[in-house]
Amino acid sequence: MDDQAQIVIDGVTHTYRPAHGRAVLALSDVSLEVRAREFLALLGPSGCGKSTLLYLVGGFLPTEVGRILVEGRPVSAPGPDRGIVFQHFALFPWKTVRANVLYGLERQPLSRPEREQRAQAFIDLVGLGGFEESYPSQLSGGMRQRTALARTLAFDPSILLMDEPFGALDAQTRALMQTELLGIWRRTPKTVIFVTHDVQEAVYLADRVAVMSTRPGRIKTIVDTRFGDRNPSILRSKQFVEKVDEIWDLVRVEAIKAQEDTAP
Amino acid sequence: MVRVADHSAPAAGADGIARTPTGRLAIAARIATRSAAVVLLLVAWEIFARSGKVTPFMLPPFSAVVVRIYTDAITGVLWINLGLTLYRALAGFLIAAVAGIALGAAMSRLRPVRWFFDPIVSVGFPMPKIAFLPIVMLWLGVYDVSKIAMVVFDAIFPVVTATIAGLQAVDKELLWSARNMGAGERELMWQIALPAALPQILTGLQVALPIALIVAVIAEMAMGGYGLGGAMMGASRFADSRGVFAGIVEIAIVGYALIKGLAFIRARLLAWHQEAEERS
Ligand SMILES: Nc1ncnc2c1ncn2[C@@H]1O[C@H](COP(=O)(O)OP(=O)(O)O)[C@@H](O)[C@H]1O
Ligand SMILES: [Mg+2]
Repeated sequence: MDDQAQIVIDGVTHTYRPAHGRAVLALSDVSLEVRAREFLALLGPSGCGKSTLLYLVGGFLPTEVGRILVEGRPVSAPGPDRGIVFQHFALFPWKTVRANVLYGLERQPLSRPEREQRAQAFIDLVGLGGFEESYPSQLSGGMRQRTALARTLAFDPSILLMDEPFGALDAQTRALMQTELLGIWRRTPKTVIFVTHDVQEAVYLADRVAVMSTRPGRIKTIVDTRFGDRNPSILRSKQFVEKVDEIWDLVRVEAIKAQEDTAP
Repeated sequence: MVRVADHSAPAAGADGIARTPTGRLAIAARIATRSAAVVLLLVAWEIFARSGKVTPFMLPPFSAVVVRIYTDAITGVLWINLGLTLYRALAGFLIAAVAGIALGAAMSRLRPVRWFFDPIVSVGFPMPKIAFLPIVMLWLGVYDVSKIAMVVFDAIFPVVTATIAGLQAVDKELLWSARNMGAGERELMWQIALPAALPQILTGLQVALPIALIVAVIAEMAMGGYGLGGAMMGASRFADSRGVFAGIVEIAIVGYALIKGLAFIRARLLAWHQEAEERS
């Protein structure tokens, strides 16, 4: 696309080969470029390989076919330059909110007071002040999500990989978190790949929406969704509603295909 | 009115209510219903032993056994036997715990270790290890070392298998998330995998603890000398039936206390865990 691309995904195919059972072709020839400080939403029916693609960029799975470059270098392992927020939060249940957030900071060249201060700042940022000593099992889904977000933001990755982060939240919390995420993203610009299956969420948050096809996942289309200013009022604008409809049509076709796929 | 926090109140789920009089009553009632069956059994024992249908030699009354335990406690014999049995059981248990967790971790991390030990564990676990007693006696003698060795040999299996199963079940996203934050292999094992597997490892330890006590007593019975098991065999040899039954009651109490103690430690260690929440 252009030479400013921070993440280059080029002809990536991924096959799962479980020890027992058949091999699954999860991604087929996926190519995608993401510019620095861009907010890209990855949209597609469940099972189309969105998480897989995120895991590959994160370096958690090896890229076997094709290549993935981050800032020009091939991805070979996970690194704190690419922070991931997992779909099920992946919080350490035996650690408090504070200890969870501190975990990533312990391996950074920071003094102890600096770490403590930074952890507190991000706990406050996501609105969890007062819950520092709570364990994840004592928190609501929304609060766990915030903890996961704070933990990842705290070690300051330049790339944020988010796997359906708000999927488990109720509508109100979700709207709140979306606004909060946009605010954070504006204050500390990061490149974001945001996986979702919610069309409205994708259009609202992202600069571009990459629509994926059903398994084996490919990038079907990329739609520009940049509007003037993102605030909840645009949700009712004609321009926004039309965009959502346009993408819905693309997704609907895939969703129907996915249904036929899984039907006996 | 000034209320003093009652530290003797049972810890499990009783924090708030234990301090109110009705709460204390409720707890007493719960303990009473839970121990009713045991009390009933002891009363039946007492009545049956006094009914004249059996001689006191075959079945001494429970009260006589209690008196015997009391005298043994006064003379100090009880504490020597109890201390020795506890020492053997707990030393063996601790060695089995440390070695079992280490072996389980090594087996789940290192392919050659797994290749070597997997079949040994599979064959060894269901095997009656007590069959090795004569060999252990030949090799290590009849003193503490051989008794503790038997305990370790028996108690280690549930710890190894629980550790392996626990480590296997660790959510991969948890490990990935730690790697994302820069954790190395060693940190992954110590800081993430083992803590995440702790509930299952503790379950393994809870299985191993009664095994440790059982094997310690059996080894004592077979090898003689001091200790609850040896004392029972000695009593039996001298037709001292009160002494034999005293041993049984003592072992039952020790076993119960050990299990309760470990359950308490578990609740403490897993305060973060959902099961702690559910219980209250
Ligand atoms: N570890 C695995 N082993 C085998 N198949 C897998 C594994 N993980 C995912 N898959 C399969 O790969 C496909 C893509 O999965 P995933 O990337 O999780 O999709 P999405 O996140 O879009 O729902 C699915 O069909 C899924 O069943
Ligand atoms: Mg997914």
